Order: sequence, then structure tokens, then C-alpha cells
Amino acid sequence: MKINGPFVEKILIRFIQEELHKFGFKKGILGLSGGLDSTVCAFLAAKALSPENVTALIMPYRATFSDDLKDAKSIIHLLDIRSKIIDISPMVDAYFSIHPTENKILRGNKMARERMCILYDYSAREKALILGTSNKTELLLGYGTIHGDMASGINPLGDLYKTQIRQLALHLKVPEEIRKKTPTAGLWKGQTDEKELGIPYDEIDAILFQLVDKRKSKNDVISLGFKKEYVEKIIRLIKDSEFKRKLPPIPKISERTVGHDFLFPYDWDK
Amino acid sequence: MIGDALLQKSELQSRGNCGNFLDMKVALSQISSVLGDVKKNFHTHLKYIDRAKKEKADLLIFPELSLTGYTLKDLVPDVAISPDKNPLFTELKLLSKDISLVLGFVEEKDKGLYYNSSAYLSGGRILHIHRKVYLPTYGMFEEAKFYGQGKNFKTFQTPFGKTGMLICYDFLHYSSSYVLFAGGSEIIIVLSAAPGRGMSDEENYASSYMWELMGESISRFSTAFLIYCNRVGFEDGKSFAGGSFIYAPSGQLLAKAPYTDENFLVMEIDLKQIREYRKKWPYRRDDKPEVILAALQRAVTSYED
Repeated sequence: MKINGPFVEKILIRFIQEELHKFGFKKGILGLSGGLDSTVCAFLAAKALSPENVTALIMPYRATFSDDLKDAKSIIHLLDIRSKIIDISPMVDAYFSIHPTENKILRGNKMARERMCILYDYSAREKALILGTSNKTELLLGYGTIHGDMASGINPLGDLYKTQIRQLALHLKVPEEIRKKTPTAGLWKGQTDEKELGIPYDEIDAILFQLVDKRKSKNDVISLGFKKEYVEKIIRLIKDSEFKRKLPPIPKISERTVGHDFLFPYDWDK
Repeated sequence: MIGDALLQKSELQSRGNCGNFLDMKVALSQISSVLGDVKKNFHTHLKYIDRAKKEKADLLIFPELSLTGYTLKDLVPDVAISPDKNPLFTELKLLSKDISLVLGFVEEKDKGLYYNSSAYLSGGRILHIHRKVYLPTYGMFEEAKFYGQGKNFKTFQTPFGKTGMLICYDFLHYSSSYVLFAGGSEIIIVLSAAPGRGMSDEENYASSYMWELMGESISRFSTAFLIYCNRVGFEDGKSFAGGSFIYAPSGQLLAKAPYTDENFLVMEIDLKQIREYRKKWPYRRDDKPEVILAALQRAVTSYED
């Protein structure tokens, strides 16, 4: 689980530079929540593209997370990147005034997708590629909103577990107050990832590492001393979220079909 | 003096004399290719050929699929080349009168049959084409879906001695190197497009070690030079790990390119070391390919379905 900070930094910076170059972008854009993942992504982007080519969008809903807003602003100041604050309350409230609900998940997903809409709009306005901020833990557990925070142009952090992002953050000298923050998806006040998932991140990542990276079976992982209920829950979350990691299936009719046997690289002619 | 030596070399090359050199200058292009754009990649090759000639290199090696890029999938037929009728190869053959060249490309051997191939060009001709035998098709690899499988590991004569070529995953099957050793290879060239995998404590990928381990072992126990040329750059998120190297017949590391960075490495190697180490360690003299062949035959016969 231990990463080599300088090496991972080098690979991710080069990845951001090469992918933008291949697709004809000079600029990158990302949603900055003030949490650890988007902060680390902003640090990498600023180094890879130089600060004036990075735009961070801060997209608060009402005054729900005033601390995060403060942190996001301080990161922008620290990195000297471009930024814009866009309050998503009018759009979100307009929808829920017609289709009201108190369901926190529905409301949270709507907010995540509202932010995605704005990111894509600004991506086109500014000719800037969207840098995703989903980590490997979230991707594997499906702990994210499909077509919301999971949507991006490239996803530099997608092969690092949350605990590895903490290590990278330390190496990148991300301010301590951000590194020590309690992880939250920010869907509602008082939400924390660990409370919602019911398992501490260190343990989640250690279990995922055995299951995924080390290809261990459920029983092997349990015999390593991890709680059976934790291992089973994690396996269920992985299975139930496979749809979030794939394009939707297409029924095959023709001789050659998108997603089945029309097989081209992402970096085609790049 | 140097000029004389070079003149002598080029004369020998043009006369087709083989294995007479006492030393040679090897150049490795640890580059990144543009995926699916043969023309652009060809120009990169020309640039490096020029550079290698300026450095007075005798042999210039490019990575696996250097003319096409690696993650081709359904692009394979579009970028395929038949070397005997291809104008780019005509030009490369001409250039090989001045400097021997090893490069990777998609070969259309017969109509509609595609191979992940490497060519050794020297003295204006193609001396050998190796077609990759071990096509990785597991995890992130899917080569056997798109390529035909090569069927031989052949040692061939070059101006610098008996040589064999392997492509990437070929080299991770040690029997491939053994066949080249048994065939008399004194120089084994590995073209690679190996993506990095796994965390390491060092500033590299964990997977780089397995190539180095194999390089050291095969060079030492084949008493042959082992030249490994890997690529760099990203394709669809895969990061090619670089770290190209040259091992001497003693198993000693002679040169290593940096990991993940583009690099051009030039190294003079002393071909006399082959004789020296084969005198000291008679693995080649004591090799028993006929025993191995018979034992393999028996092993294969006893396989259960």
C-alpha cells in the first residue's frame, strides 16, 4: 500500500501533460470541494500545466459547507490557479421546488450532477479538459454519483486508494488541515464516508488491496484477520457498482457493434 | 584511426562478411510512438537514425511496434506493412547501408495475416524478421485477439555476430532465450513495449525488476550480450516503463536508460567478451540441445489432455 511519492507524482504529472497534449488541450478544469482528493488533483494539475492553465470551479450549495469553501479558497490562493465560485442553489432549488423530496441521496445526486453539468459547460467555454477526482476506493465501491462526480475527461487519481492519496498529499505538501479532514462526499451536512460505509478507510483499503491488487479470495482475506462482515460488505459493494464503471450494454444486432467488436484505443491517432 | 576502423566496418558490411568486428557501438532509442500514425513514427525513426549516425553507432534499436504504437486493437490491419513492397522499408533498407537497424512494426505476411514483428536491417537488406511467438492475452493484454502467432526463434548472422531477436513477452519465457542460445546467438536483442505495473519503494515500477532479473540471468548463462529496448509514454492510461539496458556476457550491467523518460543511449560494447566468457564458462560448449529436445519430446508426449 506504500507508494513512492516522487515517482507517483512524476507519473501523474506526465499523464496529465500527455493526455491534454494528445487531445489538443492546454488547459485543465476541475471541481474543487476543499476536500483531499480534489486538492491533490489541483496540486498535480498546477504542476503539470502551470497555474494559469488550471481552473478550479467551486460549486457550493447554499451555506452547507462553509469550512470547505474557506479551504477551497485558500488552496486557490496557495496554488495561484484560476477559479470561479458558482452557487448551484438556484438550479437545484428550482428543480426540487417542482419535484420536492427530502431524500438525502436524491438531493445529493442532483447536486453532484448539477456540478457535472457546470463543469462540462465550462470545459467547452474555456477549452479545458475536465480532470476527474475519483479515487480507486470510491471507484471500486461505487461510492460516487454516476454521471456526477464520476464523470470526467481523464481521471489522474483513479488508481490510488484513499490512504495512498493521503501519502501523496503529504509528499506534495498539501496543508495539514486539509490532509487531516474527515472524508465526506459532501452530499449533506454531517455526512462522512466512514460513517456511511460503516468501515474505517484504512480497513476498507487494506481489504480492497487484498481482494483487487492481490487477487485474494473472500476466505483468504478473512483468514488474514479482517472482519467477515466487512469483507462481505465490500465484495457486495464492488459487485453492485460494476455498472458505474462500464458503458451501458448494447444489444448486439449487427455484424459490428459499439462496445462489443468495434474495438479502438482511446488514444486513437494520438 | 577511428575513420579507418569505420571504413573497414562498412566495407565488411557491404561484402556481407559476418562476425568480424571486435567492438561495436550500439544505440537504443527509448521513445514513445504515436498510436496508429505510421508516417509520424517513421519520421521519428529518421530523426533517430540521423542522430545515431552522427554518434557513429553501428546498430540502432527501436522498441516493439515502434512504427505503429502498441494498443492498436482494430487498427492493426490499417497500419500493417509488407516489408518487401513497402516504400518506407525501401528507404529503411537504403539507410541500413550506413547503420544496422532493428525496429518493430505490424507485418502483413500473407493477405489478411498480421504479426507483431521486428526486422533487422543491415547492408541494404532485411537480414531477419522475427514474429512474436508469445502474444500476451491476459489482464490488460489482448494481443492474440489481433495478431497471428509467430512460430520460430531463429539465430541469424549479422556483421557483428550471430544474433537473435525476441519481442517483449517472448523474453519472459526463458525457453525462448534458450532456443536462441542453442542456435548460437551471441547477441540477443529484445524489443519491448512493457507497461509499468505495481508500486515499488524505488522511483520506478515494481515490474521493471523482472526484466532486469531476466536480462542479467540470460546474458550471464548464455554468455551473450543482452540488449533490451523498451518504450516510454502513455497509451490509454498505460505507462510504458522504459529502463532499457545492456548486459555483457558476464552478466554485468553495461548501461541502463532511465525509467519512464525518453532517452537515447549509445554504448560501445566489446565483442571479444563473448569469446572470453565462453572460454571461462563453457555453457555453450556443454549445452546438450539433443538431450533437451528428446526430453521435451517425452515431456510433451506425457501431457494429459
